[in-house]
Amino acid sequence: MIHVEHLTKDYRRVKRREGLFGSLRTLFSAEYEPLRAVNDLSFDIAEGELVGYIGPNGAGKSTSIKMLCGILVPSSGRIEVNGLVPHKNRMANALQIGAVFGQKTQLWWDVPVIESLRLFRDIYKVPEPVYRQNLEMFNDLLGLHEFRDAPVRQLSLGQRMRADMAAALIHNPHLLFLDEPMIGVDVVVKERLRTFIQQVNRERKVTVILTTHDMVDIEKVCSRIMIIDHGQIVYDGDLDRIRERYGTTRTLVIEFEESVPDFDAPHARLAKSEGRRKWFAFNRLETSPSALIAHISARYPVADLAVEEPDIEEIVRTVYRGGDPQEAAR
Amino acid sequence: MKLFWSFTRQAFHNTAVYRVEFWIRLVSILLAMYSIRAVWQTLYTQRPDAFGLTLGQMVTYGVLGMALHAFIDTGSEWYIATQVRTGAIDTDLLKPIDFHVHMLARNLGEMLFGMGVMALPTYAIGYFVFGLQLPPDAGAAGLFALSVLLGFLVQFHLGFLLGSVAFATLDIRSIAWAYFAVISFFSGQMVPLWMFPDGLRAVAEVLPLQAVYYIPMSIYIGTYSGPEAWSALGFQALWALTLAGVARLAWHQVHRRLTVQGG
Repeated sequence: MIHVEHLTKDYRRVKRREGLFGSLRTLFSAEYEPLRAVNDLSFDIAEGELVGYIGPNGAGKSTSIKMLCGILVPSSGRIEVNGLVPHKNRMANALQIGAVFGQKTQLWWDVPVIESLRLFRDIYKVPEPVYRQNLEMFNDLLGLHEFRDAPVRQLSLGQRMRADMAAALIHNPHLLFLDEPMIGVDVVVKERLRTFIQQVNRERKVTVILTTHDMVDIEKVCSRIMIIDHGQIVYDGDLDRIRERYGTTRTLVIEFEESVPDFDAPHARLAKSEGRRKWFAFNRLETSPSALIAHISARYPVADLAVEEPDIEEIVRTVYRGGDPQEAAR
Repeated sequence: MKLFWSFTRQAFHNTAVYRVEFWIRLVSILLAMYSIRAVWQTLYTQRPDAFGLTLGQMVTYGVLGMALHAFIDTGSEWYIATQVRTGAIDTDLLKPIDFHVHMLARNLGEMLFGMGVMALPTYAIGYFVFGLQLPPDAGAAGLFALSVLLGFLVQFHLGFLLGSVAFATLDIRSIAWAYFAVISFFSGQMVPLWMFPDGLRAVAEVLPLQAVYYIPMSIYIGTYSGPEAWSALGFQALWALTLAGVARLAWHQVHRRLTVQGG
């Protein structure tokens, strides 16, 4: 469905000089600094996948998505979206994709939502029965009827995202790009959008690429995760594998029957100590919890214990930092 | 074609929201009409035959200039510049329409809306209150309508090019100021071209700006008629086509170098 090969995008940015005098100097001679937003990016996405596309701010997520939409022209490399080269066939490509950019709305600001959708129907040449059927689905799943007659500027952020989601899918695209669609929306709307995304993916076989900073989105929705940093893929695979590879750190939490002095156990490090409770961080490849528990309970009486796995957020933080899983525990 | 109607409907929804803005604009146009008539009346009492037209024609020219101004300038440059500055241009490029055609549809829609809602009332008031005359005959009225459409196309493409400058500079306010100063003078909106000193007149006759006001208004008051009117229409059409070509080329270049602002 999507084929990306050695994709690179360079920007030129005016170098700002500091202060008022500096700004004045920029008027006469500007210095440019090159900025590589996307650096030799390659990946493939198959039809029907639901991919979480994550990375820290400025990693190149939005830039690469805009190239997939045909909005930006790559500096070098190859892109194919369902057989089309997006920047060469921008309009044909636009018919097969839908997109939500969380930061911006594509609806008309002063116009009732339903009028915007009607204009989309005309722009995308959506047949009337399909249009009606889709509206019905949006009413059911997104509650579109609750705010369809209000102009966009009066909508709450959650309503606006739902309206934008409807606009992105009105023409039954094969592919849906969601660039931070959950930004700033409350838990209830988030849950609703997640369910909606999954449903669209499952029932309409729409391939989805989802960009988000909320790891719960990724965990609940995505089957595959691509992590990008400094314009390059640093991880590509399913969630279980990332846990296996980076999430090898475990924490053993022990509550002792009485307060005991701080100590280290073999292959484990005392991470935290609080009252009668102590946290031991260890790598499960180096030692097992049972060995550790045996060692500790032989020395001090144990009242209660638990083994904690790192959550996905922690793992991703590890990947962003470039890798040492032990780091994440600290 | 359906698309153009959709955009007209959208323009209606869009503008109908701002009722206060509508009334203020209407009143300011009427004020401008009033003052331009006052100026010509004073000048004619001083030198009744210095201008080569009757007072009635001259007032018609001036008042019509204001009525045309109410809708022919749809401000395409501001839309493009804002979209570029805020980065919202990507939502335009997400749509399966050619950007140039999209802008044309959008602005044509706004022009048709402005014509119905703004120009017709001002025209009627101009006729009943300020002594705006009717065109000499039905033929002239027809040519006038055609000429206005061509004038709109010239105006639109100049605006499109001006807006495209925003891709390089991000802000077009200062350039736009200079442009408006030039257009309101060289287009003959206020003063017809034949009253210009020879040097300026030669410049004005080469520039495309006269296509926006001077040519349609000259056809309306009857100073251009017959073959003269047709060749003026040819001049407009030629410029409209040339500018459309330049606009498309410019846009092609812009898209290649496009940087989208913000996230």
